[in-house]
Amino acid sequence: MHLITGFLGSGKTTLLNILGSLDTPTQGTVEVLKTKIHEIKQKEASRLRSEHIGFIFQTYNLLPVYNVYENVEFPLLLLKMDANKREKMVKDAIEWVGLTDKIKSRPNQLSGGQCQRVAIARAMVKKPDLVLADEPTANLDTENSHNILDTMLKLNRELKTSFIFSTHDPKVIGYLRRIIRLIDGEVQSDDLASGI
Amino acid sequence: MFKFLLKGVFRDRHRWLFPVLIVMFAVALLIFTFSFLEGYKGSYIRQTARFNTGHLKVVSRAYAEMLDLKPYDLALLDISEELQEYKQRYPQLDWVERINFGALLDVPDAEGETRVQGEVIGFAIDLFTDDTESKRLQLASALKSGKLPAAQREILLSAIAAEKLEIQVGDTITLIGSTVFGAMSMQNFLVSGTVEFGILSLDQGAVVADLNDIRMMLDMEDSAGEILAFFKSGEYERREATRIANDFNARYSDPEDEFSPQMLRLSDQGNIGYILTMLDYSVLWMSIGFILVLGIVLWNAGLLNSIRRYGEFGVRLAIGESKRRVYWSLLTEAIIVGHRGRIPGESSWARPSVCISITSAWI
Ligand SMILES: Nc1ncnc2c1ncn2[C@@H]1O[C@H](COP(=O)(O)OP(=O)(O)O)[C@@H](O)[C@H]1O
Ligand SMILES: [Mg+2]
Repeated sequence: MHLITGFLGSGKTTLLNILGSLDTPTQGTVEVLKTKIHEIKQKEASRLRSEHIGFIFQTYNLLPVYNVYENVEFPLLLLKMDANKREKMVKDAIEWVGLTDKIKSRPNQLSGGQCQRVAIARAMVKKPDLVLADEPTANLDTENSHNILDTMLKLNRELKTSFIFSTHDPKVIGYLRRIIRLIDGEVQSDDLASGI
Repeated sequence: MFKFLLKGVFRDRHRWLFPVLIVMFAVALLIFTFSFLEGYKGSYIRQTARFNTGHLKVVSRAYAEMLDLKPYDLALLDISEELQEYKQRYPQLDWVERINFGALLDVPDAEGETRVQGEVIGFAIDLFTDDTESKRLQLASALKSGKLPAAQREILLSAIAAEKLEIQVGDTITLIGSTVFGAMSMQNFLVSGTVEFGILSLDQGAVVADLNDIRMMLDMEDSAGEILAFFKSGEYERREATRIANDFNARYSDPEDEFSPQMLRLSDQGNIGYILTMLDYSVLWMSIGFILVLGIVLWNAGLLNSIRRYGEFGVRLAIGESKRRVYWSLLTEAIIVGHRGRIPGESSWARPSVCISITSAWI
Protein backbone atom coordinates (compact mmCIF):
# COMPACT_ATOMS: atom_id res chain seq x y z
CA MET A 1 0.00 0.00 0.00
CA HIS A 2 1.54 3.22 -1.23
CA LEU A 3 0.36 6.62 -0.27
CA ILE A 4 0.54 9.91 -2.03
CA THR A 5 -0.14 12.70 0.39
CA GLY A 6 0.04 16.48 0.35
CA PHE A 7 -2.11 19.56 0.85
CA LEU A 8 -5.21 20.34 -1.11
CA GLY A 9 -4.22 21.27 -4.64
CA SER A 10 -0.76 19.83 -4.39
CA GLY A 11 -1.29 17.54 -7.39
CA LYS A 12 -2.40 14.20 -5.91
CA THR A 13 -5.40 13.69 -8.19
CA THR A 14 -3.37 14.76 -11.17
CA LEU A 15 -0.64 12.29 -10.40
CA LEU A 16 -3.13 9.45 -9.94
CA ASN A 17 -4.90 10.32 -13.16
CA ILE A 18 -1.62 10.21 -15.00
CA LEU A 19 -0.74 6.89 -13.43
CA GLY A 20 -4.13 5.58 -14.53
CA SER A 21 -3.59 6.93 -18.06
CA LEU A 22 -6.67 9.14 -17.75
CA ASP A 23 -4.45 12.16 -18.16
CA THR A 24 -1.21 12.71 -20.03
CA PRO A 25 1.80 14.48 -18.61
CA THR A 26 2.97 17.65 -20.36
CA GLN A 27 6.56 16.57 -19.88
CA GLY A 28 8.59 13.71 -18.55
CA THR A 29 8.03 9.97 -18.77
CA VAL A 30 5.72 7.71 -16.80
CA GLU A 31 5.98 3.96 -16.68
CA VAL A 32 3.21 1.93 -15.07
CA LEU A 33 3.08 -1.87 -15.15
CA LYS A 34 5.92 -1.84 -17.66
CA THR A 35 3.90 0.39 -20.02
CA LYS A 36 5.14 3.80 -21.06
CA ILE A 37 1.96 5.73 -20.27
CA HIS A 38 3.18 8.96 -21.85
CA GLU A 39 3.36 7.45 -25.32
CA ILE A 40 0.39 5.08 -25.59
CA LYS A 41 -2.72 5.72 -27.66
CA GLN A 42 -6.19 6.21 -26.21
CA LYS A 43 -7.27 2.73 -27.23
CA GLU A 44 -4.30 1.07 -25.57
CA ALA A 45 -4.92 3.18 -22.49
CA SER A 46 -8.52 1.93 -22.35
CA ARG A 47 -7.26 -1.62 -22.61
CA LEU A 48 -4.66 -1.12 -19.93
CA ARG A 49 -7.32 0.28 -17.61
CA SER A 50 -9.91 -2.35 -18.34
CA GLU A 51 -7.48 -5.23 -17.85
CA HIS A 52 -4.98 -4.12 -15.23
CA ILE A 53 -6.06 -1.04 -13.32
CA GLY A 54 -8.92 -0.45 -10.91
CA PHE A 55 -10.16 2.94 -9.74
CA ILE A 56 -11.71 4.06 -6.47
CA PHE A 57 -12.98 7.62 -6.15
CA GLN A 58 -13.67 9.94 -3.28
CA THR A 59 -17.33 10.20 -4.28
CA TYR A 60 -17.78 6.44 -4.99
CA ASN A 61 -19.18 7.14 -8.47
CA LEU A 62 -21.36 4.07 -8.64
CA LEU A 63 -23.78 3.88 -11.58
CA PRO A 64 -27.04 4.86 -9.89
CA VAL A 65 -29.48 2.87 -12.02
CA TYR A 66 -27.70 -0.43 -11.43
CA ASN A 67 -27.73 -2.53 -8.29
CA VAL A 68 -24.66 -3.74 -6.37
CA TYR A 69 -24.30 -6.87 -8.44
CA GLU A 70 -24.56 -4.99 -11.75
CA ASN A 71 -22.15 -2.26 -10.69
CA VAL A 72 -19.55 -4.84 -9.78
CA GLU A 73 -20.28 -6.81 -12.93
CA PHE A 74 -19.74 -3.85 -15.25
CA PRO A 75 -15.90 -4.03 -15.58
CA LEU A 76 -16.19 -7.70 -16.45
CA LEU A 77 -18.68 -6.97 -19.24
CA LEU A 78 -15.89 -5.06 -20.93
CA LEU A 79 -13.68 -8.15 -20.82
CA LYS A 80 -14.90 -11.05 -22.89
CA MET A 81 -15.59 -13.94 -20.58
CA ASP A 82 -17.91 -16.81 -19.94
CA ALA A 83 -21.11 -15.86 -18.08
CA ASN A 84 -20.72 -18.47 -15.32
CA LYS A 85 -17.19 -17.45 -14.59
CA ARG A 86 -18.28 -13.82 -14.52
CA GLU A 87 -21.04 -14.53 -12.05
CA LYS A 88 -18.65 -16.32 -9.73
CA MET A 89 -16.12 -13.49 -9.87
CA VAL A 90 -18.79 -10.88 -9.15
CA LYS A 91 -20.11 -12.84 -6.17
CA ASP A 92 -16.59 -13.38 -4.81
CA ALA A 93 -15.78 -9.68 -5.07
CA ILE A 94 -18.98 -8.75 -3.25
CA GLU A 95 -18.13 -11.26 -0.56
CA TRP A 96 -14.63 -9.76 -0.08
CA VAL A 97 -16.20 -6.47 0.89
CA GLY A 98 -18.94 -8.14 2.99
CA LEU A 99 -21.98 -6.98 1.05
CA THR A 100 -23.47 -10.31 -0.01
CA ASP A 101 -26.75 -9.43 1.72
CA LYS A 102 -27.03 -6.15 -0.26
CA ILE A 103 -26.48 -7.68 -3.66
CA LYS A 104 -29.77 -6.40 -5.09
CA SER A 105 -29.66 -2.95 -3.50
CA ARG A 106 -29.27 0.21 -5.51
CA PRO A 107 -26.60 2.78 -4.50
CA ASN A 108 -29.24 5.15 -3.11
CA GLN A 109 -30.26 2.47 -0.61
CA LEU A 110 -26.71 2.13 0.79
CA SER A 111 -24.68 4.16 3.28
CA GLY A 112 -21.52 5.99 2.22
CA GLY A 113 -19.31 3.28 3.70
CA GLN A 114 -21.26 0.57 1.89
CA CYS A 115 -21.06 2.47 -1.39
CA GLN A 116 -17.30 2.76 -1.06
CA ARG A 117 -17.09 -0.98 -0.39
CA VAL A 118 -19.08 -1.60 -3.59
CA ALA A 119 -16.59 0.67 -5.36
CA ILE A 120 -13.73 -1.42 -3.97
CA ALA A 121 -15.44 -4.60 -5.14
CA ARG A 122 -15.87 -3.01 -8.56
CA ALA A 123 -12.20 -2.05 -8.69
CA MET A 124 -11.09 -5.49 -7.46
CA VAL A 125 -13.44 -7.80 -9.33
CA LYS A 126 -11.14 -8.26 -12.31
CA LYS A 127 -8.17 -8.84 -9.96
CA PRO A 128 -6.15 -5.95 -11.37
CA ASP A 129 -2.44 -5.50 -10.80
CA LEU A 130 -2.91 -1.98 -9.55
CA VAL A 131 -5.69 -0.08 -7.80
CA LEU A 132 -5.64 3.71 -7.76
CA ALA A 133 -7.73 5.30 -5.03
CA ASP A 134 -8.19 9.06 -4.86
CA GLU A 135 -9.01 10.11 -1.29
CA PRO A 136 -11.19 7.04 -0.70
CA THR A 137 -11.88 7.91 2.95
CA ALA A 138 -12.47 11.63 2.60
CA ASN A 139 -16.25 11.34 2.80
CA LEU A 140 -16.34 8.69 5.51
CA ASP A 141 -16.38 8.76 9.32
CA THR A 142 -13.58 7.18 11.39
CA GLU A 143 -15.17 3.77 11.77
CA ASN A 144 -15.99 3.41 8.10
CA SER A 145 -12.56 4.74 7.11
CA HIS A 146 -10.85 2.03 9.14
CA ASN A 147 -13.23 -0.55 7.80
CA ILE A 148 -12.40 0.42 4.23
CA LEU A 149 -8.68 0.54 4.88
CA ASP A 150 -8.79 -2.89 6.57
CA THR A 151 -10.60 -4.29 3.58
CA MET A 152 -8.05 -2.81 1.21
CA LEU A 153 -5.14 -4.07 3.29
CA LYS A 154 -6.63 -7.57 3.35
CA LEU A 155 -7.04 -7.60 -0.42
CA ASN A 156 -3.54 -6.17 -0.82
CA ARG A 157 -2.15 -9.13 1.07
CA GLU A 158 -4.42 -11.89 -0.24
CA LEU A 159 -4.54 -10.93 -3.91
CA LYS A 160 -1.13 -9.25 -4.14
CA THR A 161 -2.70 -6.17 -5.68
CA SER A 162 -0.76 -2.92 -5.37
CA PHE A 163 -2.73 0.00 -4.02
CA ILE A 164 -1.73 3.58 -4.59
CA PHE A 165 -3.89 6.11 -2.95
CA SER A 166 -3.95 9.73 -2.16
CA THR A 167 -5.15 11.30 1.03
CA HIS A 168 -4.50 14.08 3.46
CA ASP A 169 -6.19 12.06 6.19
CA PRO A 170 -3.75 11.21 9.05
CA LYS A 171 -5.77 8.08 10.09
CA VAL A 172 -4.53 6.40 6.98
CA ILE A 173 -0.82 6.66 7.68
CA GLY A 174 -0.65 3.55 9.86
CA TYR A 175 -1.67 1.27 7.01
CA LEU A 176 1.10 2.16 4.64
CA ARG A 177 4.42 1.01 3.36
CA ARG A 178 5.59 3.96 1.32
CA ILE A 179 4.59 7.59 1.60
CA ILE A 180 5.22 10.17 -1.09
CA ARG A 181 4.66 13.76 -0.06
CA LEU A 182 3.80 16.34 -2.73
CA ILE A 183 3.97 20.08 -2.47
CA ASP A 184 3.02 22.27 -5.42
CA GLY A 185 3.30 19.37 -7.82
CA GLU A 186 6.78 18.43 -6.66
CA VAL A 187 7.84 15.40 -4.64
CA GLN A 188 8.91 16.71 -1.27
CA SER A 189 9.72 13.39 0.39
CA ASP A 190 9.52 9.66 -0.39
CA ASP A 191 9.73 7.44 2.71
CA LEU A 192 9.26 3.80 3.55
CA ALA A 193 6.95 3.86 6.52
CA SER A 194 7.56 2.03 9.78
CA GLY A 195 3.92 0.99 10.36
CA ILE A 196 3.95 -2.17 8.29
CA MET B 1 -23.84 -5.83 -22.65
CA PHE B 2 -27.01 -5.13 -24.63
CA LYS B 3 -29.10 -6.48 -21.78
CA PHE B 4 -27.11 -4.32 -19.42
CA LEU B 5 -27.91 -1.23 -21.47
CA LEU B 6 -31.54 -2.22 -21.74
CA LYS B 7 -31.82 -2.41 -17.96
CA GLY B 8 -30.14 0.96 -17.65
CA VAL B 9 -32.49 2.62 -20.11
CA PHE B 10 -35.66 1.29 -18.56
CA ARG B 11 -34.74 1.86 -14.95
CA ASP B 12 -33.78 5.47 -15.52
CA ARG B 13 -37.00 7.26 -16.27
CA HIS B 14 -35.08 10.39 -17.29
CA ARG B 15 -33.52 8.45 -20.08
CA TRP B 16 -36.69 7.24 -21.74
CA LEU B 17 -39.81 9.01 -20.53
CA PHE B 18 -39.44 12.31 -22.32
CA PRO B 19 -38.07 10.97 -25.60
CA VAL B 20 -40.62 8.16 -25.62
CA LEU B 21 -43.46 10.60 -25.07
CA ILE B 22 -42.15 12.91 -27.76
CA VAL B 23 -41.59 10.15 -30.28
CA MET B 24 -44.94 8.61 -29.46
CA PHE B 25 -46.74 11.87 -29.81
CA ALA B 26 -44.92 12.81 -33.00
CA VAL B 27 -45.44 9.47 -34.67
CA ALA B 28 -49.13 9.52 -33.80
CA LEU B 29 -49.49 13.08 -35.00
CA LEU B 30 -47.57 12.40 -38.19
CA ILE B 31 -49.67 9.37 -39.02
CA PHE B 32 -52.80 11.29 -38.20
CA THR B 33 -51.83 14.24 -40.39
CA PHE B 34 -50.75 11.98 -43.19
CA SER B 35 -53.98 10.00 -43.03
CA PHE B 36 -56.00 13.15 -42.77
CA LEU B 37 -54.45 14.56 -45.93
CA GLU B 38 -54.76 11.23 -47.72
CA GLY B 39 -58.38 11.08 -46.70
CA TYR B 40 -58.87 14.64 -47.78
CA LYS B 41 -57.23 13.94 -51.10
CA GLY B 42 -59.44 10.90 -51.62
CA SER B 43 -62.63 12.82 -50.93
CA TYR B 44 -61.46 15.71 -53.04
CA ILE B 45 -60.81 13.42 -55.98
CA ARG B 46 -64.13 11.66 -55.51
CA GLN B 47 -66.14 14.83 -55.31
CA THR B 48 -64.37 16.55 -58.17
CA ALA B 49 -64.74 13.47 -60.33
CA ARG B 50 -68.44 13.10 -59.59
CA PHE B 51 -69.49 16.66 -60.26
CA ASN B 52 -66.95 18.01 -62.63
CA THR B 53 -64.14 16.06 -64.17
CA GLY B 54 -65.03 12.39 -64.24
CA HIS B 55 -62.05 10.11 -63.96
CA LEU B 56 -61.56 10.84 -67.62
CA LYS B 57 -63.37 13.29 -69.82
CA VAL B 58 -63.81 13.53 -73.58
CA VAL B 59 -64.44 16.96 -75.10
CA SER B 60 -63.70 18.60 -78.43
CA ARG B 61 -60.21 20.02 -78.75
CA ALA B 62 -61.71 23.48 -78.99
CA TYR B 63 -63.76 22.90 -75.83
CA ALA B 64 -60.62 21.66 -74.05
CA GLU B 65 -58.93 24.96 -74.79
CA MET B 66 -61.58 26.80 -72.79
CA LEU B 67 -62.48 24.05 -70.39
CA ASP B 68 -63.24 26.31 -67.45
CA LEU B 69 -65.82 28.29 -69.43
CA LYS B 70 -67.78 25.13 -70.35
CA PRO B 71 -68.42 26.46 -73.87
CA TYR B 72 -71.29 24.15 -74.89
CA ASP B 73 -71.37 25.73 -78.35
CA LEU B 74 -68.07 23.87 -78.94
CA ALA B 75 -69.68 20.55 -77.99
CA LEU B 76 -69.01 17.20 -79.62
CA LEU B 77 -71.59 16.61 -82.35
CA ASP B 78 -73.14 13.36 -83.62
CA ILE B 79 -71.61 11.33 -80.89
CA SER B 80 -73.78 8.25 -80.39
CA GLU B 81 -71.80 6.05 -82.79
CA GLU B 82 -68.45 7.11 -81.41
CA LEU B 83 -69.72 6.64 -77.90
CA GLN B 84 -70.70 3.05 -78.71
CA GLU B 85 -67.19 2.46 -79.98
CA TYR B 86 -65.61 3.99 -76.86
CA LYS B 87 -67.76 1.81 -74.65
CA GLN B 88 -66.59 -1.29 -76.47
CA ARG B 89 -62.94 -0.32 -76.59
CA TYR B 90 -62.72 0.67 -72.94
CA PRO B 91 -65.07 -1.68 -71.14
CA GLN B 92 -63.51 -0.89 -67.77
CA LEU B 93 -65.21 2.53 -67.90
CA ASP B 94 -68.75 3.77 -67.38
CA TRP B 95 -69.59 6.54 -69.83
CA VAL B 96 -72.02 9.41 -69.35
CA GLU B 97 -72.88 12.48 -71.38
CA ARG B 98 -73.40 15.86 -69.79
CA ILE B 99 -74.02 19.41 -70.83
CA ASN B 100 -73.02 22.38 -68.72
CA PHE B 101 -74.66 25.60 -69.80
CA GLY B 102 -75.51 29.07 -68.62
CA ALA B 103 -79.03 30.44 -68.74
CA LEU B 104 -81.29 33.17 -67.49
CA LEU B 105 -83.94 32.02 -65.10
CA ASP B 106 -87.18 33.92 -65.41
CA VAL B 107 -90.02 33.64 -62.89
CA PRO B 108 -93.39 34.80 -64.19
CA ASP B 109 -96.14 36.20 -61.93
CA ALA B 110 -99.84 35.33 -62.11
CA GLU B 111 -100.32 37.49 -65.22
CA GLY B 112 -97.39 35.87 -66.98
CA GLU B 113 -95.19 38.97 -66.60
CA THR B 114 -91.60 38.61 -65.38
CA ARG B 115 -91.57 38.77 -61.62
CA VAL B 116 -87.87 38.19 -61.06
CA GLN B 117 -84.85 37.04 -63.10
CA GLY B 118 -81.51 35.50 -62.20
CA GLU B 119 -78.53 33.86 -63.90
CA VAL B 120 -78.09 30.15 -63.30
CA ILE B 121 -75.59 27.49 -64.15
CA GLY B 122 -77.28 24.60 -65.88
CA PHE B 123 -76.23 21.07 -65.21
CA ALA B 124 -77.80 18.61 -67.64
CA ILE B 125 -77.50 14.93 -66.80
CA ASP B 126 -79.32 11.80 -67.74
CA LEU B 127 -82.02 11.58 -65.09
CA PHE B 128 -84.36 9.04 -66.59
CA THR B 129 -82.57 6.25 -68.53
CA ASP B 130 -81.45 4.79 -65.23
CA ASP B 131 -80.45 6.10 -61.83
CA THR B 132 -76.65 5.88 -62.16
CA GLU B 133 -76.26 9.63 -62.54
CA SER B 134 -78.68 10.52 -59.75
CA LYS B 135 -76.83 8.08 -57.53
CA ARG B 136 -73.43 9.38 -58.59
CA LEU B 137 -74.41 12.92 -57.69
CA GLN B 138 -76.26 11.72 -54.60
CA LEU B 139 -79.27 13.78 -55.58
CA ALA B 140 -81.51 12.05 -53.06
CA SER B 141 -79.36 13.13 -50.14
CA ALA B 142 -78.83 16.60 -51.60
CA LEU B 143 -82.58 17.15 -51.81
CA LYS B 144 -83.74 19.85 -49.39
CA SER B 145 -87.39 20.04 -50.31
CA GLY B 146 -89.79 18.56 -52.87
CA LYS B 147 -88.76 15.46 -54.77
CA LEU B 148 -86.52 14.34 -57.60
CA PRO B 149 -87.77 14.98 -61.16
CA ALA B 150 -90.10 12.19 -62.22
CA ALA B 151 -91.02 13.36 -65.72
CA GLN B 152 -89.56 15.41 -68.57
CA ARG B 153 -89.34 19.14 -68.00
CA GLU B 154 -89.04 18.86 -64.29
CA ILE B 155 -85.93 20.34 -62.73
CA LEU B 156 -84.12 20.75 -59.45
CA LEU B 157 -83.08 24.20 -58.31
CA SER B 158 -80.42 25.02 -55.78
CA ALA B 159 -81.99 25.88 -52.45
CA ILE B 160 -80.11 29.17 -52.14
CA ALA B 161 -81.24 30.37 -55.57
CA ALA B 162 -84.80 29.27 -54.81
CA GLU B 163 -84.81 31.35 -51.65
CA LYS B 164 -83.20 34.36 -53.29
CA LEU B 165 -85.65 34.33 -56.19
CA GLU B 166 -88.58 33.36 -53.97
CA ILE B 167 -89.37 30.24 -55.91
CA GLN B 168 -91.40 27.41 -54.32
CA VAL B 169 -91.43 23.74 -55.16
CA GLY B 170 -94.18 23.30 -57.74
CA ASP B 171 -93.61 26.71 -59.39
CA THR B 172 -93.09 26.92 -63.10
CA ILE B 173 -90.01 28.78 -64.25
CA THR B 174 -88.60 29.66 -67.65
CA LEU B 175 -85.01 29.08 -68.70
CA ILE B 176 -83.80 31.45 -71.38
CA GLY B 177 -80.64 30.49 -73.20
CA SER B 178 -79.16 30.37 -76.65
CA THR B 179 -78.85 27.36 -78.90
CA VAL B 180 -75.52 26.11 -80.21
CA PHE B 181 -76.33 28.02 -83.37
CA GLY B 182 -76.72 31.28 -81.47
CA ALA B 183 -80.51 31.59 -81.57
CA MET B 184 -82.45 32.47 -78.43
CA SER B 185 -84.37 29.61 -76.87
CA MET B 186 -86.84 29.32 -74.03
CA GLN B 187 -88.29 26.43 -72.15
CA ASN B 188 -90.66 26.15 -69.21
CA PHE B 189 -89.83 23.82 -66.36
CA LEU B 190 -91.56 22.69 -63.24
CA VAL B 191 -89.46 22.96 -60.07
CA SER B 192 -89.82 19.50 -58.51
CA GLY B 193 -87.42 20.09 -55.65
CA THR B 194 -84.56 22.12 -54.24
CA VAL B 195 -81.08 20.81 -53.59
CA GLU B 196 -77.97 21.67 -51.63
CA PHE B 197 -74.74 19.85 -52.52
CA GLY B 198 -72.37 21.54 -50.12
CA ILE B 199 -70.36 22.74 -53.13
CA LEU B 200 -70.26 26.48 -53.29
CA SER B 201 -70.26 26.89 -57.07
CA LEU B 202 -73.31 24.69 -57.46
CA ASP B 203 -75.24 25.94 -54.46
CA GLN B 204 -74.90 29.57 -55.50
CA GLY B 205 -77.31 29.07 -58.37
CA ALA B 206 -77.57 25.87 -60.30
CA VAL B 207 -80.35 23.98 -61.96
CA VAL B 208 -80.16 20.25 -62.53
CA ALA B 209 -82.16 19.24 -65.59
CA ASP B 210 -82.56 16.17 -67.71
CA LEU B 211 -80.11 15.86 -70.59
CA ASN B 212 -82.78 15.29 -73.22
CA ASP B 213 -84.75 18.39 -72.21
CA ILE B 214 -81.66 20.53 -72.51
CA ARG B 215 -80.62 18.95 -75.78
CA MET B 216 -83.98 19.95 -77.16
CA MET B 217 -83.84 23.43 -75.72
CA LEU B 218 -80.30 24.14 -76.93
CA ASP B 219 -80.66 22.39 -80.25
CA MET B 220 -78.01 19.83 -79.29
CA GLU B 221 -79.59 16.66 -80.61
CA ASP B 222 -77.05 13.80 -80.34
CA SER B 223 -74.35 16.02 -78.96
CA ALA B 224 -72.87 16.59 -75.55
CA GLY B 225 -70.61 19.21 -74.12
CA GLU B 226 -68.68 16.62 -72.20
CA ILE B 227 -68.51 12.85 -72.09
CA LEU B 228 -67.36 11.68 -68.70
CA ALA B 229 -65.91 8.27 -67.99
CA PHE B 230 -65.68 6.63 -64.59
CA PHE B 231 -63.76 3.53 -63.64
CA LYS B 232 -66.20 0.78 -62.84
CA SER B 233 -64.21 0.17 -59.66
CA GLY B 234 -65.35 3.60 -58.49
CA GLU B 235 -61.80 4.69 -57.65
CA TYR B 236 -59.51 6.85 -59.74
CA GLU B 237 -56.67 4.72 -61.07
CA ARG B 238 -53.91 7.10 -61.95
CA ARG B 239 -51.76 4.83 -64.09
CA GLU B 240 -54.60 3.24 -65.95
CA ALA B 241 -56.13 6.67 -66.60
CA THR B 242 -52.88 7.82 -68.19
CA ARG B 243 -52.66 4.70 -70.29
CA ILE B 244 -56.24 5.02 -71.53
CA ALA B 245 -55.94 8.73 -72.26
CA ASN B 246 -52.77 8.22 -74.30
CA ASP B 247 -54.34 5.38 -76.21
CA PHE B 248 -57.55 7.31 -76.83
CA ASN B 249 -55.83 10.47 -78.03
CA ALA B 250 -53.48 8.58 -80.32
CA ARG B 251 -56.47 6.83 -81.82
CA TYR B 252 -59.14 9.51 -82.09
CA SER B 253 -57.69 12.95 -81.57
CA ASP B 254 -56.45 15.01 -84.47
CA PRO B 255 -54.45 18.14 -83.61
CA GLU B 256 -55.43 19.61 -86.98
CA ASP B 257 -59.16 19.29 -86.29
CA GLU B 258 -60.39 21.36 -83.39
CA PHE B 259 -63.68 19.47 -83.29
CA SER B 260 -62.00 16.11 -82.95
CA PRO B 261 -62.33 14.56 -79.49
CA GLN B 262 -59.67 14.80 -76.86
CA MET B 263 -59.47 12.81 -73.67
CA LEU B 264 -58.41 14.53 -70.47
CA ARG B 265 -57.45 12.85 -67.23
CA LEU B 266 -58.82 14.12 -63.96
CA SER B 267 -55.46 15.71 -63.23
CA ASP B 268 -55.29 17.43 -66.64
CA GLN B 269 -58.32 19.54 -65.89
CA GLY B 270 -58.07 23.03 -64.45
CA ASN B 271 -55.75 23.23 -61.48
CA ILE B 272 -56.65 19.82 -60.09
CA GLY B 273 -53.32 18.31 -61.00
CA TYR B 274 -51.64 21.18 -59.22
CA ILE B 275 -53.79 20.79 -56.12
CA LEU B 276 -53.08 17.07 -55.94
CA THR B 277 -49.36 17.65 -56.34
CA MET B 278 -49.46 20.32 -53.64
CA LEU B 279 -51.23 17.94 -51.30
CA ASP B 280 -48.55 15.33 -51.90
CA TYR B 281 -45.82 17.88 -51.33
CA SER B 282 -47.43 19.21 -48.21
CA VAL B 283 -47.35 15.71 -46.75
CA LEU B 284 -43.69 15.46 -47.64
CA TRP B 285 -42.78 18.87 -46.24
CA MET B 286 -44.77 18.32 -43.13
CA SER B 287 -42.96 15.06 -42.54
CA ILE B 288 -39.60 16.71 -43.06
CA GLY B 289 -40.52 19.61 -40.78
CA PHE B 290 -41.78 17.23 -38.15
CA ILE B 291 -38.65 15.15 -38.22
CA LEU B 292 -36.48 18.26 -37.99
CA VAL B 293 -38.37 19.66 -35.02
CA LEU B 294 -38.42 16.25 -33.42
CA GLY B 295 -34.71 15.94 -34.03
CA ILE B 296 -33.97 19.29 -32.39
CA VAL B 297 -36.16 18.56 -29.38
CA LEU B 298 -34.59 15.16 -28.88
CA TRP B 299 -31.11 16.48 -29.51
CA ASN B 300 -31.57 19.00 -26.71
CA ALA B 301 -33.05 16.40 -24.43
CA GLY B 302 -30.02 14.27 -25.22
CA LEU B 303 -27.62 17.09 -24.40
CA LEU B 304 -29.29 17.75 -21.07
CA ASN B 305 -29.19 14.07 -20.34
CA SER B 306 -25.51 13.89 -21.21
CA ILE B 307 -24.73 16.69 -18.81
CA ARG B 308 -26.62 14.82 -16.13
CA ARG B 309 -24.72 11.66 -16.93
CA TYR B 310 -21.31 13.28 -17.32
CA GLY B 311 -20.05 11.61 -14.15
CA GLU B 312 -21.21 8.23 -15.33
CA PHE B 313 -19.28 8.53 -18.58
CA GLY B 314 -16.17 9.54 -16.65
CA VAL B 315 -16.40 6.48 -14.46
CA ARG B 316 -17.01 4.22 -17.40
CA LEU B 317 -13.97 5.61 -19.18
CA ALA B 318 -11.91 5.13 -16.02
CA ILE B 319 -13.06 1.54 -15.71
CA GLY B 320 -11.67 0.97 -19.16
CA GLU B 321 -14.57 1.37 -21.56
CA SER B 322 -13.32 3.00 -24.75
CA LYS B 323 -14.82 6.26 -25.96
CA ARG B 324 -16.08 4.52 -29.03
CA ARG B 325 -17.99 2.00 -26.93
CA VAL B 326 -19.55 4.76 -24.89
CA TYR B 327 -20.79 6.42 -28.10
CA TRP B 328 -22.09 3.12 -29.36
CA SER B 329 -23.92 2.44 -26.16
CA LEU B 330 -25.60 5.85 -26.39
CA LEU B 331 -26.65 5.14 -29.94
CA THR B 332 -28.03 1.78 -28.89
CA GLU B 333 -29.94 3.43 -26.09
CA ALA B 334 -31.35 5.95 -28.55
CA ILE B 335 -32.58 3.17 -30.80
CA ILE B 336 -34.13 1.31 -27.89
CA VAL B 337 -35.92 4.45 -26.75
CA GLY B 338 -36.99 5.30 -30.30
CA HIS B 339 -38.60 1.92 -30.70
CA ARG B 340 -40.31 2.13 -27.41
CA GLY B 341 -41.91 5.40 -28.55
CA ARG B 342 -42.67 4.33 -32.09
CA ILE B 343 -44.69 1.26 -31.28
CA PRO B 344 -47.42 2.83 -29.14
CA GLY B 345 -47.38 5.83 -31.48
CA GLU B 346 -48.16 3.61 -34.41
CA SER B 347 -50.66 1.38 -32.78
CA SER B 348 -52.69 4.09 -31.15
CA TRP B 349 -55.87 5.65 -32.45
CA ALA B 350 -53.82 7.08 -35.27
CA ARG B 351 -53.99 3.92 -37.36
CA PRO B 352 -54.11 5.17 -40.95
CA SER B 353 -57.19 3.29 -42.11
CA VAL B 354 -59.20 4.57 -39.18
CA CYS B 355 -58.08 8.12 -39.84
CA ILE B 356 -58.77 8.01 -43.52
CA SER B 357 -62.29 6.86 -42.91
CA ILE B 358 -62.86 9.42 -40.18
CA THR B 359 -61.63 12.13 -42.52
CA SER B 360 -63.74 10.94 -45.40
CA ALA B 361 -66.81 10.73 -43.24
CA TRP B 362 -66.16 14.18 -41.86
CA ILE B 363 -65.73 15.77 -45.26
N1 LIG C 1 3.18 18.54 -11.42
C1 LIG C 1 2.35 19.57 -11.67
N2 LIG C 1 2.75 20.64 -12.36
C2 LIG C 1 1.92 21.65 -12.62
N3 LIG C 1 0.60 21.70 -12.20
C3 LIG C 1 0.16 20.68 -11.49
C4 LIG C 1 0.99 19.56 -11.18
N4 LIG C 1 0.25 18.67 -10.46
C5 LIG C 1 -0.99 19.23 -10.34
N5 LIG C 1 -1.06 20.43 -10.93
C6 LIG C 1 -2.22 21.32 -10.98
O1 LIG C 1 -2.63 21.63 -9.66
C7 LIG C 1 -4.04 21.68 -9.53
C8 LIG C 1 -4.55 20.85 -8.38
O2 LIG C 1 -4.16 19.51 -8.58
P1 LIG C 1 -4.93 18.28 -7.97
O3 LIG C 1 -4.27 17.07 -8.54
O4 LIG C 1 -6.39 18.40 -8.16
O5 LIG C 1 -4.60 18.41 -6.45
P2 LIG C 1 -5.10 17.54 -5.23
O6 LIG C 1 -5.80 16.35 -5.76
O7 LIG C 1 -3.84 17.20 -4.49
O8 LIG C 1 -5.99 18.42 -4.43
C9 LIG C 1 -4.62 21.20 -10.87
O9 LIG C 1 -5.09 22.34 -11.59
C10 LIG C 1 -3.43 20.59 -11.59
O10 LIG C 1 -3.50 20.80 -12.99
MG1 LIG D 1 -7.83 15.72 -5.45
